Amino acid sequence: MSNVKTEHRPARRFQSETLLDLVSRWAFMVPAGLILVAMLAYPILYTLEISFALIDLSTFQVTEWVGWENYEFVLSDSRFWASLKVTAVYLALSLPLQMVLGFGIAYLINVEWKGRGFIRALFLIPMVVAPVVAGGVWRMMLDPLYGLTNYLLSFVGLGPYDWLGDSWLAMLTIVIIDTWRWTPFIVLIATASILSLSRDIFEAADIDGANWWTKLWSISIPLLLPMIVATFIVRWLGAVKMFDIALAATGGGPGAATQVINLYIYEEAFRSLHFAESAAMAMIVLVGTMMLTGVFLRGSRKLEDLY
Amino acid sequence: MHRFAVTHKLRIGGGIVVALLFLLPVFWMVLTSFKFQRDIFTTPPTVFFTPTLENYSNYLQRSSIPYQMLNTAIVAFGSGLISIFTGAMAGYALARLRIRGAGLLGVLILMSRGVPPIALAVPMFLVGRSLGLIDKHIFLILAYCTFLIPYVMWLMRSFFIALPKELEESAMIDGCSRFGAFFKIIVPISLPGLLSTLIFCVILAWEELLFAIVLTNRVASTVPVAIANIAGDTVNGANWGALTAVGTMTVIPVVIFALLVQKWLIQGLADGATKG
Repeated sequence: MSNVKTEHRPARRFQSETLLDLVSRWAFMVPAGLILVAMLAYPILYTLEISFALIDLSTFQVTEWVGWENYEFVLSDSRFWASLKVTAVYLALSLPLQMVLGFGIAYLINVEWKGRGFIRALFLIPMVVAPVVAGGVWRMMLDPLYGLTNYLLSFVGLGPYDWLGDSWLAMLTIVIIDTWRWTPFIVLIATASILSLSRDIFEAADIDGANWWTKLWSISIPLLLPMIVATFIVRWLGAVKMFDIALAATGGGPGAATQVINLYIYEEAFRSLHFAESAAMAMIVLVGTMMLTGVFLRGSRKLEDLY
Repeated sequence: MHRFAVTHKLRIGGGIVVALLFLLPVFWMVLTSFKFQRDIFTTPPTVFFTPTLENYSNYLQRSSIPYQMLNTAIVAFGSGLISIFTGAMAGYALARLRIRGAGLLGVLILMSRGVPPIALAVPMFLVGRSLGLIDKHIFLILAYCTFLIPYVMWLMRSFFIALPKELEESAMIDGCSRFGAFFKIIVPISLPGLLSTLIFCVILAWEELLFAIVLTNRVASTVPVAIANIAGDTVNGANWGALTAVGTMTVIPVVIFALLVQKWLIQGLADGATKG
């Protein structure tokens, strides 16, 4: 009962108790807060700092402030723009593809039979294959000479394709691998959300004689919209970090045809040791990602209001 | 009714075909890992062959792979456990303890998911180098916490919000402190949620590559780094036997793990997307 009656106690006692309570409440935040400040907030500030500096490669210390020079250098670097374009093409191809395939497959496998749970569980497997393994194994499967893909395609009269040697095919390769790994993720989320839809509405629609297209367009999609939007944003936040698959499957090649932005910054920082320039690029990408995420979040709210 | 039964069967069949298609690369990886070199590089690809464990024994005996496996496990479980412990506490504070600025903190956490890891890897490398932290397990563990803790906080926050408030209230009336109420009442009943989140964290850390490449050299190096090196070896050409053997060893434990706890995992996935 002590908590309920605090307000009737003498003022001094009351104050010390709430202070203690305030401290104990914030204490829950302390361990996570410390780690995030040291390993997340501080590094971002440090990146911001060195993006305005010159770094001495013998000591790895800041030697001089150069203002916006690194940013000017980066913005006039054609390879930076090229890798942004590569990233944009990759995102524009793979995100819609994965969303449509994911929800489509979820719709397909959502049939009542005793193996449904098992099929759904199978979709967990590609998802837990490490991206770097996925990249390497697909690289093997797409080998023009010994690969399984060209062999299988030859049965339907296609190919042979030089998957990793041609710029456009290499981009397609990255999209295929990423789609292979991430579509199952969307399938599982979509299955869960389709199952959560109430059956009564569909039964009512059946009684009204609605065909499957009307049911899909006027019932399923509007009801699933919040889920579709949320899945898209989660997937977007994952996809902008694309690195492992490109590194393992193509290494950014041929030329720089699949050099996504993270791979380019990585190469600039750790192979060419251009730390300050890569910090400037990282800041540009960080701000760009935040802004686009904000636009998507806002757009998603507008879209949900529409229905 | 008859037409309905036909489409029903077609959809089941279609679902099975699609699922098998998605499993094909994994199946092919496992199959290739048991092939002799002469059966790997053939046109057309060989399906029937005399199996061998050569690729496994080669890599388990003559390389750093077993050591890197151990490192991967240490780092994955280390970062997973730290993240679930600290993240669940912070998530509880955001959900229940009426922290001032909880809304703002929530937005910051969500935004942190948009931070490109390379923007962290560069400063971590530079600072870690001057502090002598490069190639230390703990540094990699803490680096992984940057994406695991926000994830745990967000998931567990929504988990705790859904719990009835009377739970802690009655515990605190009985004389429990806030910590007591959390650890004695909330944690035990949240165990399934905590466990599935932990499994997620371990899997995410298990397969991480960028921080591992940048922050380790030899002592704390992990398997994904080894795989990237094998796959990207342009000097000796691709050693597919090694790639598939190491790949299989990395993937199979996670697959078994994931299938064992698939119900929780799928639930966690759905929650992560919708409540996030």
